[in-house]
Amino acid sequence: MANPLRLYLTCIRNTLEAAMCLQNFPCQEVERHNKPEVELKTSPELLLNPVTICRNEAEKCLIETSINSLRISLKVKQSDELENILTKKFLRFLSMRAEAFQVLRRKPVQGYDISFLITNYHCEDMQKQKLIDFIVQFMEDIDKEISELKLSVNTRGRLVATEFLKQFI
Amino acid sequence: MACFERASPALKEILLRLYRDERAIDADHHLHEFGSVEYYIQSLVSDPDHTYLSISTPILSQAFLVSTRLSRYTIQKVKAISAEVVEIIEPPKEGYQLTIRLNFARMPHGKESIKIIRDIAAVQGVILSSQLEEMLMNVNSQDVAQGMYKPIKLVYHPREPFYVTKQPQKITAVFPMRFKEKTDVIIATAFFQFPQQELMDVANTKAGAKAPHCIWSPIPPPELRGEAIEDLSTNGGFVSFDITSRHIEGKRLDKTVWNLLNFYAFVKNHVKSTRGFIQRRMRTCLKRLVEVLQKTGPQDEQQIQEVKGYKRMKKLVKFTKFKIIRYRSDFTSKLKRIRSRLKIHGFNRFRRKWLTFPIFSSKTKYRKLEKDISLQHN
Repeated sequence: MANPLRLYLTCIRNTLEAAMCLQNFPCQEVERHNKPEVELKTSPELLLNPVTICRNEAEKCLIETSINSLRISLKVKQSDELENILTKKFLRFLSMRAEAFQVLRRKPVQGYDISFLITNYHCEDMQKQKLIDFIVQFMEDIDKEISELKLSVNTRGRLVATEFLKQFI
Repeated sequence: MACFERASPALKEILLRLYRDERAIDADHHLHEFGSVEYYIQSLVSDPDHTYLSISTPILSQAFLVSTRLSRYTIQKVKAISAEVVEIIEPPKEGYQLTIRLNFARMPHGKESIKIIRDIAAVQGVILSSQLEEMLMNVNSQDVAQGMYKPIKLVYHPREPFYVTKQPQKITAVFPMRFKEKTDVIIATAFFQFPQQELMDVANTKAGAKAPHCIWSPIPPPELRGEAIEDLSTNGGFVSFDITSRHIEGKRLDKTVWNLLNFYAFVKNHVKSTRGFIQRRMRTCLKRLVEVLQKTGPQDEQQIQEVKGYKRMKKLVKFTKFKIIRYRSDFTSKLKRIRSRLKIHGFNRFRRKWLTFPIFSSKTKYRKLEKDISLQHN
């Protein structure tokens, strides 16, 4: 892993470790309901200050915490058109299969490419540390996968172009 | 042309079946390919020796060809497949450009027959490419003399026209590229930018010098100035190939024409296969990430499973009080039996003398002095 990326991911990991102390908390507005406060934002006393971690302008992470839920939104770098289309395609593909991930939000928060919603129930069902590991690995994998995809598409293009031109010879 | 193979696979299959069938059958097939090519195959029991094949294909350039009939050059090329087997019927069936009568009785046996059938199935490609070949050889001779380099619009598919312009030193083929989706545009654009780089890389080599010069531009090239605005509005830009006399010499002419006719199909195939490749990669990545998430199970799960594994303990718990008392009495009687000794006269002395463990001296451990003293006394 490149050094700047490692620093960025370590920062996110530490923030998540601090933020992921969720507890069961019933909704204050509706009786016998239990809703993620980070989504509803009905009671300001149940919300913590959101944290934004930026690697650069194009790559950032927003961590919003509440008493019973945590929302992580990611913006993945898109340096050119090909990367932009690959990222959009890939993240849309993952969002459409959100049920496989449990913690993935079907629609990202505005201004971000993908969002996760972790509730206290998720923390009860899964190990907290491993959940953080998953988020970090997800970010790492997305970055790596898009770079590799771009490289592969370009390599394929180059090979096909060469083959086509060879036919004239 | 939307198929890399010259021969139509469906037509080839039907002709092979008709040829291999020993008894005459009535056959009446209509085939449509790529939306603009139509085949009509007819075989009658009353005329068992002959099969009729009619082909309708778009005329490459309406402006260039005077009549809808095929040119002499094209007819010659069709006849060249096999003079014995293929016979052109004049006039062709209504609605078709060409009707040929196939005499399978005169067909040579073995591999030769398959080759001829493959050539017959590729007649549509022959018609199309021969039109372009003819154009490249004859067209613009007077225009060039007059200093006019007007592009010729070639339409073999309504959505995929391209332009050919003959200039004194070269022929320029310009392809306006249109795609339905933005993803396709970006993949194709990434692909179009490579030929230029590739050519620059290999320009010094022999192969590089032989390949035609290829340029991609997002705006219409100057050769297309004056053409209709709807023809020049594209989302994928324009790809131009500069074809020199070297590329249309002898056998290369056929290759060059075929490559130009297949360029759209080639690009579309690349885009489609790249999309498939991306999809496969995404699926693999999804699988990997889901596996990672599945490992984040609850902490105590393993420990709980281990506790469940103490089956003997469970059995003990299940014992009734009576069973436990009986088991305990059995156990104590067993212990008593083990502890009770058999007394043998003089055995103790024998054991003390022969069955004692030898004492090993150790540097680290303490050594009793008493024994040494007793030894000295002895």
